[in-house]
Amino acid sequence: MWGICMGDVFQFLSSASLEKLTGRKANNLEELLGLIRSCPESSIFYHTFSAFMKMRDVQLPYDSDFAIWADLRLNEKALAERLMAIDLREYNTIKSLRARLIEIIESHRKQVPESCEKIASEPFYLYDIMRVVYLTDRFAYDLRSFRDILKNISIYSIYFHFIESRLHTELHANDFSTWIEGSLNMADLAHRIRDIDISVYTIEGLRSRIIQLIDEYLKGGNH
Amino acid sequence: MTTPTLWDYREVVGPDIIEELTILASHVGSRSIKMINSTSVGGGVAEMLRRIVPLLNEMGIHTEWEVIRAEDEFFGITKAFHNALQGNQAHFQKDAFEIYLAWNEKNASEMDFDADLVVIHDPQPAALIHWNQYRKNRWIWRCHIDLSSPNQQLWEFLRPYIEKYDAAIFSSALFSPELNISQYRFYPAIDPLDDKNRELDVSFVESVFEKYGIPTDKPLVTQISRYDPWKDPVGVVQAFKMARKYVDCRLLLVGDKAADDPESDKILAEVRAEAGNSAEIHILLFSPSIATEINAFQRASDIIMQKSLREGFALTVSEALWKSRPVIGGAAGGIPTQIIDGYTGLLVHSVEGASLAIRSLLNQPDFAKRLGESGHQRVKDEFLITKNLKRYLLLLLALDRPQEQAIFLT
Repeated sequence: MWGICMGDVFQFLSSASLEKLTGRKANNLEELLGLIRSCPESSIFYHTFSAFMKMRDVQLPYDSDFAIWADLRLNEKALAERLMAIDLREYNTIKSLRARLIEIIESHRKQVPESCEKIASEPFYLYDIMRVVYLTDRFAYDLRSFRDILKNISIYSIYFHFIESRLHTELHANDFSTWIEGSLNMADLAHRIRDIDISVYTIEGLRSRIIQLIDEYLKGGNH
Repeated sequence: MTTPTLWDYREVVGPDIIEELTILASHVGSRSIKMINSTSVGGGVAEMLRRIVPLLNEMGIHTEWEVIRAEDEFFGITKAFHNALQGNQAHFQKDAFEIYLAWNEKNASEMDFDADLVVIHDPQPAALIHWNQYRKNRWIWRCHIDLSSPNQQLWEFLRPYIEKYDAAIFSSALFSPELNISQYRFYPAIDPLDDKNRELDVSFVESVFEKYGIPTDKPLVTQISRYDPWKDPVGVVQAFKMARKYVDCRLLLVGDKAADDPESDKILAEVRAEAGNSAEIHILLFSPSIATEINAFQRASDIIMQKSLREGFALTVSEALWKSRPVIGGAAGGIPTQIIDGYTGLLVHSVEGASLAIRSLLNQPDFAKRLGESGHQRVKDEFLITKNLKRYLLLLLALDRPQEQAIFLT
């Protein structure tokens, strides 16, 4: 878990990123596959994890730039749906996520060979990203202080701990649940937070949902 | 109006966003930036610098802004360069390049370039770097124009200068050429606190409509854009007339008269002819417009249109979305970056499509409201000046560690 710096204290981190143009693009499925196979891990991160956060905020039903492009620019609906079904929370390495993307596209290519003949209405532009992860000055010592900070911390921090940090920890859990279970011994609450379906919330909505679960837990006399 | 401080932005973007900026600034530390462009007034670049320079200073990044000095002959040439780089046909004589370089050399000898980061905006001062090749600091070229299909003669002349920079910044992947230096993407941004975007009193909005004699009795569809064929104002009138067979509404067209654009009179005449004597179509021509009045027109509209056929980035879309207005945009230039079709607005490709979109939004107010709200969020996430402040801070960090893809600040 990222965020603990001493004892059972949880220090909130946050992240930011700077987008880089690569000059590389794909006009068809074969070229997209080539990009996915050869691009840096940071490019895969940008088009999946970074894109997902932005899509959550405007409630797009996609979870990656690859899925949007397959749907809106290539009109390969079945491929788009399969890409959309990827749950980023199941991936704690970019290597495994890249392999899954390649597997889905290769499988689609076999099932629908003519999809490789199509030229997209607009190219897929490959981006890269420079990420910065940094400490905030917010510390939680117990569930109540955690809740109070969560109410005001930036959405970037919430997203970092809930989704992105698993790439650093290589765990299959979000930092909040890990801390609440491991340090506060509140396994039930930790599991409820872990089970939140991020795909139906904006990041603000996610914040509200976690706070609601904590309030219910506290109201039930569990503290 | 006094220049807003970071504190003023807390109200509109949220205290958490400002807090993150100050944390990042503390990691950047005591650094300096020098911005250089070609004009201190007029145009989007000067407006952006006027706002962002004080804010960077407030965050502890010592930032100066200096404008190159030159005679009219230089600016005549760079105006032609600007158009040719965006695709206009042109052929330049050798003396045009010599004059361009002579003025850049003169400015290079008169300016100091001691800042940690020198940011050169647009092509006019781009060759300054030629006289600073043995620098110890970092130089960035910030290109605000569309370089996707530049005039080749001119580009072959400019490219060697551009490739001397440490990196370049473009507004979109659509606008960038192939270069052998790193390229970053900074979206253009609006300022939520300037007169064009700040909150207005309802009474002021009402007074603007009274002033121009525009009734507020029916839903209002508005396009605010120059009378330019690429903005397709005639197409907007045609779409409105088609939609009006199904929904009762008014159309408001607002545009500035460009002093250097003789074509605008011709287009305006075409727009008026298409509108005929309809009492529901209102055509306003300003010279120039007043920012708070444009703001009022946008805020009181039920739909904002930007039915462009060809575009730069079209920040008018972000202005409207920031006000949570549902926007119908032509699928051109930077408009699809701001409008995700069906989620943060509607994209159209024809007069018929625009007409259907007007009917759809006026008949489904809940859908229109949702588009406006999601559009507002998208602008907040990507197209506000505060986001560009963050990008400058990240750029300072990135340039210190050009080989790193992830930086962990402790």
